[in-house]
Amino acid sequence: MIKKNCQNFDDRELVALSINDSQYFFCLMTRYEEKLSNYVRRFTYLPDDDIADIIEDSFINAYQHLNDCDCNLKFSSWLYRIVHNQAINFIKKNKQSLKIDMTDSDDNFIDWLVADTNIEKETLTLHFSDYIKTLLEKLKPEYKEVLVLKFFEDKDYQEISDILQKPMGTVATLISRAKIQFKEVYEKENQYQR
Amino acid sequence: MKKKISISDKTLKTINKKHLKPIPKWEFVIKNWGLWSTLILCLLLLIVGLALSLFGIIDNVIVPYLWLFIAVIFFIISYFIFEKTKGAYHFPKWQVFTVIIFIGLTMGAAFFKVGLANRLDQQLEKELPYYRHMVPMKLETWNNPSLGYLSGTISKVTNDSNFELKDFNGKVWNITGQNILIKGRISIVPSVEIKLIGSQIDGSSFNATEIRPWTGMGKNITK
Repeated sequence: MIKKNCQNFDDRELVALSINDSQYFFCLMTRYEEKLSNYVRRFTYLPDDDIADIIEDSFINAYQHLNDCDCNLKFSSWLYRIVHNQAINFIKKNKQSLKIDMTDSDDNFIDWLVADTNIEKETLTLHFSDYIKTLLEKLKPEYKEVLVLKFFEDKDYQEISDILQKPMGTVATLISRAKIQFKEVYEKENQYQR
Repeated sequence: MKKKISISDKTLKTINKKHLKPIPKWEFVIKNWGLWSTLILCLLLLIVGLALSLFGIIDNVIVPYLWLFIAVIFFIISYFIFEKTKGAYHFPKWQVFTVIIFIGLTMGAAFFKVGLANRLDQQLEKELPYYRHMVPMKLETWNNPSLGYLSGTISKVTNDSNFELKDFNGKVWNITGQNILIKGRISIVPSVEIKLIGSQIDGSSFNATEIRPWTGMGKNITK
């Protein structure tokens, strides 16, 4: 099988070419395979085999719906949306819950999350990441998914809106409420420990 | 050692093995058109429902419950169909609600104002069997000669197109008309109770275009 050299094509050009030649779609897949696998891992925490199944099904779904690709939004947002829906369906089907993988969390996310909370200094040491993860587990699923897109995938409000198919105002509200709920969860936990 | 196959490689193999192809564009175009056409149809039915409801509520001629029910049903269907369209997610739910209600009310009010609701009600009565049973006229409607509705008991008959009618308030009317349409089994003889559609000529004369038997909703209450 001869693999095409697609480096000079942008996503939209590749979409147009993929309709008649699946080799070009291979370029799109390789371009997004790792990013999408990481995304699914971050907000589902599923085993690699399950993630691979979700990505493969999403790619096939995307390929079959190329002619329905909404070119008014970024191709990556459209693809993330398909993967997101596929992952949610997988989780519902297998009766699992959304979890956030904190292994590669960055400082910005941690800073944003703990700002305005009274998380004590000693907590901010050894098992801090695990501790935050435990608290995040207790958030509502819609808060978890929006946090992953904002802080782990670096998506802006417009992209998150396109991926989750929610108005931008709702996205902003969800992010703000996620922080409030995180604070409530932290305070509740802290109350029990005292 | 066997090299681990990537997801992209595996997917491409599946695509080629199963001879998968992108679904043709026309299928999506048709689906999209179908969705928007259904939405427009539902909005029209919402407008009609609201126009006839206003006709019932403001002009006080018909009982508007069925039309109100139709308006509510098509409001809900319109909302859910719009939510299925591409790009609908850009708008908050309350905005979609408000816009659909605004379209329904303004267009419905316009339909009612230009008399289309009244005409449609009369047309449906002519064309649709049992329509009047489902959307009955209000009792007071038949005691409103200035709007063209009169009812009562025949008191004196000259001939089928010239007789006297005592309305349920005891007032005597001189009824005239040409080629009067008689609906149902009625004999124009004294002491028969009837309903008339037509126009008021003066304080005690009425020109009838249609005669119906006095049956149906609440005749006993009126008497």
